[in-house]
Amino acid sequence: MSFQAYPLACATDEALRAAAARWQRRGLLTPAQRAAIEAAHPGQYVRPGIWVRVALLAVTLLGLGAGLVLAVLLTAGRLPATVYGALLLLGTVAALEFAIKSSAHYRSGVDNALLYVAIATWGFLANEISESLVAGPHVLTLWLVLMLVVLLAALLRYADPLVAAASLGTALWLLATTLLYSAVGQLLLPFGLLAAAGALLWALGRLPAYAYYTYYRGAALVLRALGLAVLYLAGNYLMVREGNAALLGGGGVSGQVPLAALFYVFTAVMPLLYIGLGLRRADRLLLTVGLLALAFSLYTLRYYHSLLPPEVAATLGGLLLLAGALGALRYLRTPRHGLTSAADAEASPHFNLENVIIAQTAHVPAAPEVGFEFGGGHSGGGGAEGRF
Amino acid sequence: MATLTARLLAQLQAEGLLPPAQAAAIATDERTRPFSLHYELRAMLYLGITLLAGGAGVLVYQHLDSIGHGVIIAGISLLMSASFAYASRQRAPFSWGEVPRASIAADYLLVLSCLLFLVLEGYLQAQYGLFGQRYGLATVLPAGLFFYLAYRFDHRGVLSLAITTLAAWVGVSVAPLALFTGGFPSEALSGPGLLLGLALLAAGLAAELLRRKPHFAYTYLLLGGNVALLAALVRLFDAAGFDTGQPELLRALLVALLVLGICAGLVWYARRAQSYIFLLLAVGYGYVAFTSSLVLLAELVGIREEFLQLGMLYFTLSLLGLLLLLFNIKKILRLA
Repeated sequence: MSFQAYPLACATDEALRAAAARWQRRGLLTPAQRAAIEAAHPGQYVRPGIWVRVALLAVTLLGLGAGLVLAVLLTAGRLPATVYGALLLLGTVAALEFAIKSSAHYRSGVDNALLYVAIATWGFLANEISESLVAGPHVLTLWLVLMLVVLLAALLRYADPLVAAASLGTALWLLATTLLYSAVGQLLLPFGLLAAAGALLWALGRLPAYAYYTYYRGAALVLRALGLAVLYLAGNYLMVREGNAALLGGGGVSGQVPLAALFYVFTAVMPLLYIGLGLRRADRLLLTVGLLALAFSLYTLRYYHSLLPPEVAATLGGLLLLAGALGALRYLRTPRHGLTSAADAEASPHFNLENVIIAQTAHVPAAPEVGFEFGGGHSGGGGAEGRF
Repeated sequence: MATLTARLLAQLQAEGLLPPAQAAAIATDERTRPFSLHYELRAMLYLGITLLAGGAGVLVYQHLDSIGHGVIIAGISLLMSASFAYASRQRAPFSWGEVPRASIAADYLLVLSCLLFLVLEGYLQAQYGLFGQRYGLATVLPAGLFFYLAYRFDHRGVLSLAITTLAAWVGVSVAPLALFTGGFPSEALSGPGLLLGLALLAAGLAAELLRRKPHFAYTYLLLGGNVALLAALVRLFDAAGFDTGQPELLRALLVALLVLGICAGLVWYARRAQSYIFLLLAVGYGYVAFTSSLVLLAELVGIREEFLQLGMLYFTLSLLGLLLLLFNIKKILRLA
């Protein structure tokens, strides 16, 4: 019996079928070959479309809630809360294993809901345990340790993306609480987070060599996106300065932080590094996180220096973005440097939705009056000014 | 990514499903295929024109009395003309069918010129009172122009802009998420909103059935269905208070039936176009309307108390029915 809960074929079949469809679209496979691949990898598990999964998740959560209420009513609420918690934990884990083993659910929404409720129940029980064992600030630390152990075990067994995100959040929280025990640790907090994110990304980079890579790919993708975001945010000047001010307490205006120049450079360079590496390695995740980081860096700049009035910044930024995109479209019409402006055959066009977004965001005058201002609303000015 | 491909190819070769030469060709293609920046560039274009039009809209008013303001107006006019000229030059010959997209840049520049037109028009009204007190004219005029451009350039983005402008003339918002940003439309506007929605639905059906720009049907039906159903629900809840007399109840029942009729139409289109979104729209609104009409009927025959006691049972059973529907959604849409 393997430690992984789902049959490995679930993940492999899903990846193979998606790849076969892509290769056929690109004319690299004959339809007969694709049919043969799909016949050999039928992917026989319960995994409906996204809407049905969301509905199943909601209904399972409702059902578990109703079941808990029923159990409390039947026993007239005379048992201690921990007993109800333990029963719920045992029940959900048993149901989860049963749903996977006998009904072949593969992240259908039902098994997701059972797993999340089991972990949330453990969170409650772990809190009870921590409070009975230790006191003061150690309660939180012990609770985080207990949570992290269970989350990591669940991640290894079920490879759920949300559990992966929760594991990372808990681990970083634990790291921060540990560092904040001492004054030196508080100063080292950004560097601790940087080191943790760097270590995570390095470990994820080695994952593809691991035999079970396909099984953990979804979780790894989430971890990588969050790791990249933490790596950037931990050294972002705004986060460091405001975070430091929040930790010192007192409210009011935040003061300058030590090593400010280092964080300035980091804020400026990291997004460009992400974007450059993303383009060079054809890594869409890196590119997307880099673009978002660039927007946040510009926001950081405008947060401390109001260089231009918002409407001027929006107009100039819009012009620059427009000119840049138009130039890139023209330049990349014939592929250069391994880049192209043509659509990938594998990406399905969301043209209809895009046009509805225009209706959602367009500023249309409603019976204009003298002095009435329409077209406003971009006062944040988080857009690009092409600085740095 | 690369490692996953290598792994999958190795497995297929081991299973004898792929000859080695073909696997090597696939591996080469995956490695050397240029990296597409298509959607990133589109997002940049879209963000650019939104920021530009929004910034220009504020800029115009901020500098109404300053010296630089003539320059700003000239700049906006120039930009609008240039964008429109570029879009015109790339324009394909007119057809009632879908015209293949010639240029992404032209698509976005056309939207930009429309947005800048609204900015300039608003400026002319604010500064010179171009339309005097006839504010309606100031929104009908661009709506008509945008409808013409949408058909002439075969542009669904400009079509939704035209519909949004037309709705502004009526006084309602057709934005799909308007319910969450602006709340329910007021009762006074629900009548015009309902009429506008029904007209848009009719336009969408006509486009689909008469094969006159059938790909416009999606935009018409989504925006029209949304505004019509929302306005109808406002009328329904307004009339269906508990202490109302029989005529009001009957009228509310009629509105509920109208909602169910619209939903039936949307289901028909969803099955025809195999679209999840219309089916979900119809199911959501239809569920509310169906439940309301049951309550209304119970009220009419005087068994409201008994009906409400069965509420929990109805809730559970209808939830189960909803689940059944979701499990069979592919069959309903004839996808499976």
